[in-house]
Amino acid sequence: MPVSVRRRALVLLLALGAALALAGAAYAGNGGFAPATPHSPNASGINDSYKLIALFTGIIFVIVEGALIWFIFRYRNRGRPRTAEGPQIYAHTRLELMWTAAPVLILAVIAAFVFYKLPGIKNVPAAKAQGGPLVIRVEAHQFYWQFTYPDGATSIDELHVPANRVVRVDIHSEDVDHSWWVPELGGKFDAIPGVTNHTWFKANRMGTYRGQCGEFCGVFHAEMTARVVVESDAAYRSYLASVRDPLILGGQEWRGVCAKCHGLSGRGGYGPNIAVNAVLVEHAGLLRILEHGQNQLRPVSSYMPPVGRGWTDAQVKALEAYLKTRVYKGAPSGG
Amino acid sequence: MAARAEAPPRYREDWRRGRVASWVTTVDHKRIGILYMVTSLVFFGAGGLLALLIRAQLATPDEHFITRNAYNELFTIHGTTMIFLFIVPFWAGLANFVVPLMIGARDMAFPRLNAASYWFFLFGGAGMFLSFFASGGAAKAGWYSYPPLSEKFYSPGTGQDIWILSLHLVAISSVLGAINFLCTIHNMRAAGMSWMRIPLFVWAVEIYSILLLLAIPVISTALTFLLLDRQVGTHFFDPSNGGSAVLYQHLFWFFGHPEVYIIILPAMGVLSEVIPVFSRKPIFGYKAIAFSTVAIGFYSMLVWAHHMFSVGLPNFLNVFFMLSSMVIAVPTGVKIFNWIATTWRGNLILDTPMLWALGFLCVFTIGGLSGIFLAAFPVDWQVTDTYYVVAHMHYVMFGGGVFGVFAALFYWWPKIFGRLLDERLGKMQFWLVFIGFNLTFFPQHMLGLMGMPRRNFTYSHHGLWETYNLMSSIGSGIMAIGFLVFAANVVKTSRSGPRAGNDPWIADTLEWYTTSPPPEHNFDRVPYVTSARPLRDLRRRLAQADAVG
Repeated sequence: MPVSVRRRALVLLLALGAALALAGAAYAGNGGFAPATPHSPNASGINDSYKLIALFTGIIFVIVEGALIWFIFRYRNRGRPRTAEGPQIYAHTRLELMWTAAPVLILAVIAAFVFYKLPGIKNVPAAKAQGGPLVIRVEAHQFYWQFTYPDGATSIDELHVPANRVVRVDIHSEDVDHSWWVPELGGKFDAIPGVTNHTWFKANRMGTYRGQCGEFCGVFHAEMTARVVVESDAAYRSYLASVRDPLILGGQEWRGVCAKCHGLSGRGGYGPNIAVNAVLVEHAGLLRILEHGQNQLRPVSSYMPPVGRGWTDAQVKALEAYLKTRVYKGAPSGG
Repeated sequence: MAARAEAPPRYREDWRRGRVASWVTTVDHKRIGILYMVTSLVFFGAGGLLALLIRAQLATPDEHFITRNAYNELFTIHGTTMIFLFIVPFWAGLANFVVPLMIGARDMAFPRLNAASYWFFLFGGAGMFLSFFASGGAAKAGWYSYPPLSEKFYSPGTGQDIWILSLHLVAISSVLGAINFLCTIHNMRAAGMSWMRIPLFVWAVEIYSILLLLAIPVISTALTFLLLDRQVGTHFFDPSNGGSAVLYQHLFWFFGHPEVYIIILPAMGVLSEVIPVFSRKPIFGYKAIAFSTVAIGFYSMLVWAHHMFSVGLPNFLNVFFMLSSMVIAVPTGVKIFNWIATTWRGNLILDTPMLWALGFLCVFTIGGLSGIFLAAFPVDWQVTDTYYVVAHMHYVMFGGGVFGVFAALFYWWPKIFGRLLDERLGKMQFWLVFIGFNLTFFPQHMLGLMGMPRRNFTYSHHGLWETYNLMSSIGSGIMAIGFLVFAANVVKTSRSGPRAGNDPWIADTLEWYTTSPPPEHNFDRVPYVTSARPLRDLRRRLAQADAVG
């Protein structure tokens, strides 16, 4: 039946064309058809794996859905009585074997490709020429990111690194599960209390990359964002020097740790107004609430995470300095 | 051999015959099945309302339609409801109704246990929803409630405890139900119904029950540990006192992944019944489908840690779980190919049950293919815990589960209630839900790839983020209208729908041999089963007898 053969060939060609178009859209990587444009070798490896899988699944998609739609159209009832039976075909062993084996082969190809890419995604490059990777300690807290640099400096919610430098990230959590994720610089790695995870990146372009907590961590999960600023070596060094200033670090702490709930002026938001709370300037009281948080249901339900758990003296002092000069408005008068 | 002649009907006290009391005291598998299905559909409606509120909150950037805490309660209870209070108990209800009929049995093996499992489910579900009124509100740590977030300190209030206790009740219900199904299927099949002649839906319920028996005790363990941590001061999951937060994840997903197949296998069983009947052909590859059901059940116990690729497991474990997760795609593919082959050269009657079954094939394929991305763990590192997973999971659970539920409802409704549902309204509902579903969930793939994490209360991005989120919210509204059409259909046909007769679809299995609705004792007599299609055999024998006579 040449006509039907030609028709089938046409359908197949159309299907392949659609698959290619789909794959093309995926490769273009915009509009959310592929992960964020990678700017680090590990993220590139992930993107390559994604695209290979997209190609194969795209083809399977077109074949399966094509056959389904074609059969529905071709074999629809068209006024035949319900009692009219189709051919009573019960099974076909060779067909069954074929469509068991074909997916196995496709999956084997996908798995092989992923394993080929895996070392480039997972293993931290030795970076001998640069004197080893730059090691950053990332601490996840409800609801901020704390970064500790090799020289002991810390910054909040904003990580500065030099461009084209291998950065190893050691991920910790001080309270609940979080997940470190900067899409353009690689995948997610969970921050789980009691566990240290590692990942790495080597940003090949200067600029600011947005990161976000990837594991639901509580009421301000959506606000737990990070900025990774990739800059020149000189800018990186001057940034490290700048966060030594207590008022700068204190400001970061205020905005990242306190203000998300209590408002930028401290006059309350989700959390209560603390701008007039004397605890802000009382060392022992402040230390206690930073370390232990608070959790009570009565008289009013109030929960505060132990935001300062594991802080160094320098960090506490920086926050105190900032609170004293910029936030605290004195005890309420006439009260 | 008529059942009516076996024994005089047992005496019943008057009060047990009342309109309400007869339902409360019933041990009839059909009535329990109806109770189960109606209750689970009510929970489906309630869970759907929660989802609509979630989509309303996410429709536009920087929205504050509801509060942060309310949002977290909504998605927690939405997920918990749909999984534990809707799909799994719906299948328990459907299987309750049709499995004894399909195998030619008089009732379930343990009718009183059967009633007990329904009441456990009802009270568990009611407790879950009443927890919105608990001090501190309902649970809000997500449907998998990972500790430490779900521990007492980080989740104060009693909502989380009620969540645990409600799930305990539902878990007991599921285990009792599973034991009952297994005993029924193993011991009460009609004469001649060997294992290669039982309907494929019964195969699915068999594996569903085995998986429940294996998986449920594990989540009960995890929940008990969590409850002890919260209330007694143990430290199972508290790392600062030597516990392990990752242990909970293992326990939860050791249950959680088989749960996916507990949800999807019965839906696949429904397809294996509906597609051949409406193609006027036998199922293509009965044995392949039955064995792939067993294979899926087996492999589903070996893939749990693919939910934990970003936890930082050793590399060899990631590799193992990636390969096992890919392997499970093979028997799933076999089923899909066999269903499509069943339609080949058939006489496809596109009534509503068939539309839902074909719709299942269409969207579930997308869910299966997007799962391959998630199985490859480096890719999973990018897309896990984003809207990509939300999209994938709804393509599987909704595109598979809910489409299967409605295929089943439209197919067996005439058997259950004796009246056909309205075809015009049924088709309208199908298209509304099909279009609304794809509009809701397809753009979520893109949102996830663009970096939108799941469970975010709000977002500040504009442009495509806004567009996709708005599309998604509009789609959810279209779906909601579709389900209202179903409600209208039920109301409209409940009194005036056409009578179904014993076998409106000219089907192949034993439940269509008895009246619609079936009498309390199900069958006056059960024919000897000569193949997997006993009713077709009977029709052919009758036709031959006619021809000879």
